[in-house]
Amino acid sequence: MIGWDVIGAWLCAAMVVWIYSFVYRDNVFYKIAEHMFVGTAAGYSIALALDSLNRVLVSPAVRSPHTFWSASWHYVIPAILGVLMFTKYSKKYYWLARYAVAVNIAVGSGLALRTVPIANIVRQITATIVPLWGSDPVKTLNNWILVLITLGGLTYFIFTTFPKKAEGVKPSLTYLVYRGLYYIGIYGMMVGFGALFANTIMTRVGFLISVYLIYIQPQALASAIAAVLTAAAIILGILRKR
Amino acid sequence: MSGVSYIEKILGSRELLYTLLLLSVILPIIHPLGIPIEVSKRTRDVYSYIETNLRQECHVYIEVYYEVAARGELEPNLIALTKHLFDKNCKIVYGSLSAFGVIAFSLFRSMASDLFEDKVYGRDYVYLGYIAGGEAAAASLARSIKGTISVDNFGNRLEDLPLMKEVDKATDFNLVVIASSGTDVFAYYVRQWHTPYNVPLLFAALSVIAPSIEPFVGAKQAVGMLVGQRSAAEYEVLVGRLGLGIASMDAQSTSHMLIVAFIGIGNILYWGKRLSSRRGGGK
Repeated sequence: MIGWDVIGAWLCAAMVVWIYSFVYRDNVFYKIAEHMFVGTAAGYSIALALDSLNRVLVSPAVRSPHTFWSASWHYVIPAILGVLMFTKYSKKYYWLARYAVAVNIAVGSGLALRTVPIANIVRQITATIVPLWGSDPVKTLNNWILVLITLGGLTYFIFTTFPKKAEGVKPSLTYLVYRGLYYIGIYGMMVGFGALFANTIMTRVGFLISVYLIYIQPQALASAIAAVLTAAAIILGILRKR
Repeated sequence: MSGVSYIEKILGSRELLYTLLLLSVILPIIHPLGIPIEVSKRTRDVYSYIETNLRQECHVYIEVYYEVAARGELEPNLIALTKHLFDKNCKIVYGSLSAFGVIAFSLFRSMASDLFEDKVYGRDYVYLGYIAGGEAAAASLARSIKGTISVDNFGNRLEDLPLMKEVDKATDFNLVVIASSGTDVFAYYVRQWHTPYNVPLLFAALSVIAPSIEPFVGAKQAVGMLVGQRSAAEYEVLVGRLGLGIASMDAQSTSHMLIVAFIGIGNILYWGKRLSSRRGGGK
């Protein structure tokens, strides 16, 4: 007897093959997999959101109303604000949604303002204040690179006022320092982009490896059938266009 | 057509690159090459931190914030870290600020069922489930978990779970692990858990987002970071439970070698074409 687990595993393997088939060419099986994924993901998100609402608000309010109203009554306020969001669909009452949006923005800004200056600005600046002379030459070199690339990156993004070189005049020291830091900034960012690109490849290849190990290898037959179906769909598609 | 242009046309087809990439991934999995890997300082530092700073029966909060697509990179890290923490008899509270964290946790739980065999739900570990609200929810959880939600993912009242009688707020935890495929959630925890309460954070990130969150690690706002499958493989070696991370390493190495070779060939062809066009122009 073939259980739902087996059917699910086959479907997983087939869907993976169909999604990856887009790398070669668009085909009907890719479209089936794409639509199924979008539909399932949307349905899943809605179900999870409703479940969260049920667990936090509805179920406690129904199961033990006395405890809920004495301890968690304030949950009703965001629930009302959430309902107000749906007034966007009414031509007459759409303005009510603004209150919900305003509260959302205010809470987000308030929370961020509380800690952003320390977490995202002060701590990042203090992390670049490092000793530039020391007994460990490797650490000293690293510290120099960190400080120079930070200054270079910041210099590169100065768009308002910067030293300019006058025609036929020897460049000033300020200009030379500016240009030096400017180029250090450019090359520092190039190195950063290179690291980002390498990490991107690692992630994408990692996805491919895990997909193969988790879904395709254990269900080799289902994957092979899915691949044959995809190949047939692609060939048919090419023949129809001709 | 010149020789350089002919080679460029053949090697420039994406079908060839994708086919070679697929082969470079599949063949080392079918026939493992056994390319040795060395445990990096970054991974060893994370291991040493847990070994030296976490006592027996400590409390750890783990944020499961990744979708199924990112399983391959983050799940092996999560499994290896859970194994290490359970070996130290730590008690773990899992939670998800992402709706997809629920399915990610369920898959992780089934992949690492051996780790949970002798652990009792509610006493040794708890899964809070999806907590809606993003950064506001993270801030609220840091103040009080029981004040934010009253039931766990399975509908159990938090007040009835023995582990939740021991912990409630950020400062009750000795370590917070964030396994995430998105950049924002790391910032949430830095801003709402580390900055106000000074709770140690540990990051487990996708390779692609690691450079974005590196400044937090550099500024000592996190005790360390595990990056993608490479760190997972190293951590699996350290904790002695080999899994998906180590199985992927040969394929990662061969596919990277292929990409490096293609970048090299691309550059040679580019310069070859420029040189040949200059010679042609000179004539």
